[in-house]
Amino acid sequence: MSSGCPPQSPAVAKSEVAIEGECPLLAATFAYWDNILGPRVRHIWTPKGEQLMFLSDGEVTFLANHTLNGEILRSAECGAVDVKFFVLAEKGVIIVSLIFDGELKGDKNTCALSIILPQTELAFYLPLHTICVERLKHVIRKGRIWMQKGYNIISVLSLEIIPIMELLASMKSHHVPEDIDIKDTVLNDDDIGDSCHEDFLHKAVSSHLQTCGCSIVVGSNPEKVNKIVRTLCLFLTPAERKCSRLCKADSSFKYDTGLFVQGLLKDSTGSFVLPFRQVLYSPYPTTHIDVDINTVKQMPPCHEHTYNQRRYMRSELTALWKTDSEDDIPPETVIHTDETFTPDLNIFQDVMHKDTLVKSFIDEVFMLKPGLSLRSTYLAQFLLLLHRKALTLLKYIEDETQKGKKPFRSLRNLKTDLDLTVEGDLHIIMAFAEKLRAGLHSFVFSKPFYTSMQERDVFTTF
Amino acid sequence: MISSPDVVAFTKEDEFGQADPDPWAVPEEFSVPLSPISDSNPWAKTSYAKFTKDFILISEFSEQVGPQPLLTIPEDPKVCGTFDLNYFSLRIMSVDYQASFVGHPPGSGYPRLSFVEDSRVVLGDSKEGAFAYVHHLTLYDLEARGFVRPFCMAYVSADERKIMLQFQELSLRFSQASECLKAGNRRAFAKELQRKLRDLEYTHSVLQREEGLQREAGTQRMYSAHAVEKANELANVEKSIYEHRDLLRQISSYNKRPRRDPQAVSCEKCINECLSECEQLIEKYAKLARPFSYTGKDETGQEGQKDGEEVAEEGEDVKRRPSYTPQLIKAKSAKCFDKRLKTLQELCDVTFYDATVTLLKETEKGFRGDLCYLHTRRLDKALRRKQRVTNFLFEEDLGDDDEEDERGILRPFCAVNHAVDNYTLLNPPHIVLGTEPLVLDALEPSDPCHPETSNNQDTEPGLVESHLDSSPSDQTLETQGSSEGNKGSFSSDKSGLDLAEKQLDLAKSEAPYPDSELTHEPDMERESSSEDMETTAGDEDGDGTPVSLLEVVSELEASREDQCEVITDGASDILIPLDSACCMAQEGFLYEASPAEITPCVGKSSNLQTPVVNQEPQALLPIQDDYTVGSPGSESPATGLELPVGLFGDAVSRTSVEEGSDCTMSASTGSDRGASPLGYGGVVTLRQRKKAGQGALKFVRQYPFAMQALWCLLSGRTLVVLGVDEGRVRRLVSALALFVPAPGRCGERVQAWLSCPFTLTDLQRWKLIGLQRVASPVGSSMLYSLSRYSRYISILDADHKTLRCPPYRGKLLANIADHRTYIRRGSTYFLHLQSTLCEMAAKAFLFTFTHHLHLPVSSTEGPEVVEGRRRCFLQEQLGLGEEDSQILLYLSQLITQHYLQPSTGGSAAATSFSFNYTTSVLYKI
Repeated sequence: MSSGCPPQSPAVAKSEVAIEGECPLLAATFAYWDNILGPRVRHIWTPKGEQLMFLSDGEVTFLANHTLNGEILRSAECGAVDVKFFVLAEKGVIIVSLIFDGELKGDKNTCALSIILPQTELAFYLPLHTICVERLKHVIRKGRIWMQKGYNIISVLSLEIIPIMELLASMKSHHVPEDIDIKDTVLNDDDIGDSCHEDFLHKAVSSHLQTCGCSIVVGSNPEKVNKIVRTLCLFLTPAERKCSRLCKADSSFKYDTGLFVQGLLKDSTGSFVLPFRQVLYSPYPTTHIDVDINTVKQMPPCHEHTYNQRRYMRSELTALWKTDSEDDIPPETVIHTDETFTPDLNIFQDVMHKDTLVKSFIDEVFMLKPGLSLRSTYLAQFLLLLHRKALTLLKYIEDETQKGKKPFRSLRNLKTDLDLTVEGDLHIIMAFAEKLRAGLHSFVFSKPFYTSMQERDVFTTF
Repeated sequence: MISSPDVVAFTKEDEFGQADPDPWAVPEEFSVPLSPISDSNPWAKTSYAKFTKDFILISEFSEQVGPQPLLTIPEDPKVCGTFDLNYFSLRIMSVDYQASFVGHPPGSGYPRLSFVEDSRVVLGDSKEGAFAYVHHLTLYDLEARGFVRPFCMAYVSADERKIMLQFQELSLRFSQASECLKAGNRRAFAKELQRKLRDLEYTHSVLQREEGLQREAGTQRMYSAHAVEKANELANVEKSIYEHRDLLRQISSYNKRPRRDPQAVSCEKCINECLSECEQLIEKYAKLARPFSYTGKDETGQEGQKDGEEVAEEGEDVKRRPSYTPQLIKAKSAKCFDKRLKTLQELCDVTFYDATVTLLKETEKGFRGDLCYLHTRRLDKALRRKQRVTNFLFEEDLGDDDEEDERGILRPFCAVNHAVDNYTLLNPPHIVLGTEPLVLDALEPSDPCHPETSNNQDTEPGLVESHLDSSPSDQTLETQGSSEGNKGSFSSDKSGLDLAEKQLDLAKSEAPYPDSELTHEPDMERESSSEDMETTAGDEDGDGTPVSLLEVVSELEASREDQCEVITDGASDILIPLDSACCMAQEGFLYEASPAEITPCVGKSSNLQTPVVNQEPQALLPIQDDYTVGSPGSESPATGLELPVGLFGDAVSRTSVEEGSDCTMSASTGSDRGASPLGYGGVVTLRQRKKAGQGALKFVRQYPFAMQALWCLLSGRTLVVLGVDEGRVRRLVSALALFVPAPGRCGERVQAWLSCPFTLTDLQRWKLIGLQRVASPVGSSMLYSLSRYSRYISILDADHKTLRCPPYRGKLLANIADHRTYIRRGSTYFLHLQSTLCEMAAKAFLFTFTHHLHLPVSSTEGPEVVEGRRRCFLQEQLGLGEEDSQILLYLSQLITQHYLQPSTGGSAAATSFSFNYTTSVLYKI
């Protein structure tokens, strides 16, 4: 391979990042299209320590340059971030490149932020692709502002590249297996109250499903935490399980945006501080489950969550835009506010909506004898029911609105026709449907919500 | 008032605070939209693409004209719309992702073929709304620069998520297509080399002769310019021969090299055949080395010998390929832009090319449709595999041949019809989402259930190649076998379907339904996106066989099956505690006839009204696995009630004397029995069930007593649909069949159209019967049978729109039989129905396998206590009333029978009659 590679430019800066555990990421690169010299690599990040496969800097440069080839034809809208995904068997690597435009030295250039992994990690990486891309997209938004100001983008990009390396390393060691043995979960208990209180389990599962299967489980006992993590993961699809993480026994991982279920260990003081920004940036609202004190809290439903998330993103970008000095990158712990938006820090609230679907399932499943796969079968039937109801709901709305061409006005009819009159049931099914058709919550509920938010904002300005 | 100044403040900001130009505000291009388009319409994100459906594009990076589109699948230009294929080809082909060295490597005398692995790229054009999975591959062409022609096959979609979520399946499918195309190309390339070597050999011999003549004519040590030129030419030809021989050697070593691509899929048989073919060629052309050793030392002898050999060789070749005559090769080849490059078809062996195109067509079909439907279908299937114990109740057949799918591995197959086992997938990918296995099935070679597949392959025009010679005989045998085996079912399927469809059309034109919304159903554009993927192989095409003949054939088939069942019946090992009270109430007719069936009733508790599993499951069988229990040979009680044809002969002896005459009549008019309303003798497909969903919705909306009718079906009471018009009755039966629990794989428990009186055995066998109303002696006999068995049946009169059945006061069905429902489409109603029935099946499963409901907790507990506990469970835990409980009890009974006798497949597992003394009520519109 080295025979075909151009010599490494001496200008390429490199950061070696110390990562705990085995990091499947080979390298991350930032390259740009120089108007005179063509594709050039500006920075390389590599994890320190042993890797699955070694790539020399020359090879990394070659691959990174490759990702920009053909982008001379790029005709995307200004600000758009396009994703390219390469599986280069000849080189034995996969490359994920995010292509965007940005200003470097006064010129508008096409840039590429790429991560390189060995091809053998394809199956590991694919379920995590969306998480990585969404996180990188947002740091690119910040980086573009930084570039516009003439500052060095690398420092901004490092803010997300390193956490992504850590995420991949932690997922490598602590991901939830695709097939979960029901014996490792609460559902294998002889009776409903053996591991946890009956209402707690019901609340936890119900809220978990209402928040699209996105939950954080915190506690002091890693075994207890992981048992609940596995239990909640039973209600996820195999691909979603691959985006879930068990808690580490000795010390806690950091909270990672985008994972479906993650177990987090409390510190010696018995607390775990959740980063507001990261939790808000999760693609779905999150359920917070504390297994020590048996509490279940949840974030507002999808449409509110998305609204809050975007408002906060805009605030964060505005704050960055207003920054005067390259050294003043606002830390992520700062809560951004602006004139029109003050985030509600109390994002986790009590579970308001009672349901019948999960309630009856939890009641009934423990009637079946454990250890015989009867419960697994019953669980499969329950999940099948939820998936089918979600698809029915989606199709119902699709019919009513002619695929979104008309506004949806018949929520009451929907509830009656599809037997979703109980609010909790509706929220669970809507959450399943949201995962199938992103934006459904906003489409169905956003009008009154936006109107109320708008009114609230207007009133607060008086 | 809207114009009131008080609300001006509210109207100021249209976009929730975005209207005010703030000098400090971050420009929109650096920010995120507060309300992206997907919020206002979640279906809109793919709507701005300039093409209507996903398609496959094959493009080439031509050395003459640059990137160019070659082919789209489907070929319909409407699919691509105004989308600029040239521009997109330029985009996807603008980088040589394989980026490997071609041509003469330094230090090597001969040109090297580059063996590069395919590369896969997902990219998009966000402005155009087009995204693509692009599979880059290289084909070999002797005429091309560096002997390589870069191609790519792209799956183009407006939905980027769809591509990424199905990346591994797409990769697998395109890898198969690519390997197939490349294998065909290597064969074609080897043949081209062969021809070229023959040309060179011929040219060499001509030049040699000319040079020899010149040398003889000229003086010694004096060479004319012409002679020198000839000698150079000869040397060039010799060099060229060496080069081409080396190329032949290289191409034959293709499969020996280690593969670097863990996703590559290759057929061992294809590899071996290709290898042996190339080796033969190498061996053959190795002999051409001899002419080059011509030095003039032993001119006569050598030449004579060579000529002799060549003649022999020529002779052999002439015999093999009489069409090809060697050409004299000119010293200078045509300039780059003068030559015509080969087309893709010419670059590839025709069999392999056709197989690749077929494969791509199937791929396109398999990935057609909206991602959320594909995704849910995949999950649905995976979840249904985990509940085989209840699937028989309401789910369509999963099939047994996609076990590998369960583990998330798409089974690769050889596109040119080699056996599946030959394939080696270096690193089988985990499948997140998948395509309809039916499609895979349709592609599978030599599948006896799909004779048309193997037929297609057998009649491929290019199948004269040696590598295919071995398989056709096997395939033919299999095909014959399968076609014989399937005659009845397939043909009746088609004819029945056609007939029903015609009648449906007729009915539509004659009597439109009052609900105008429903008549808008065929919105093809909309349906295509979400439901086209339900396409089933062989769904649409009919074979045109006359109905009567087919029905006879199908009847014969049914009879043969009946015989088999009768044979095995004696060995049946029935464990179910049947309701003896029920048997007594029916004057003992039911099981008197079958001694084998009396056994289970003996010794069982007569108080148990439901044949639930009254043992702990683990005591019965290893339930952990697949619920595969019971003796394989065991048959259900129903099989004993089948009308015997031939083998035991004495049909009457097995049923009561009283019923004998009716049975005989029923048997004699057995031609009606071949077809089932949904599957028409074949396996009932999801598509057929969806179609029936439309009818079911119409039924629910039209008949206020639909709930009662559905209750009858779900609680196991046979429903007879009576009517004069066959089309109307069939349609009704077809719609109502969705509600028949355990209808059987091919809908055996449903009789769509019966024109003769039925018997009790028929009632045992069929749970839904379409009965012809005739004004004749036969008709009066039918009416007699209707009144006679009215205790066991419900009668839906399609002509008078009445229903006679016991009253239903439950709530369980309110949700699926509400005539005021706002569900507009049959497909939506079908989904809703599926959910509801799935829920019922789950409750029945729970009831069946909750062991404490069926076993005494202590030795002092009598059966009454257990029975009471069971009633209490139904009423208090599940909240079911008397009638609703009957549904669950019936479903539970079926599960029990199916569970204990899985060999009958559930469909044949008839249950005992149940009836009560509740008077039937006549419902009218």
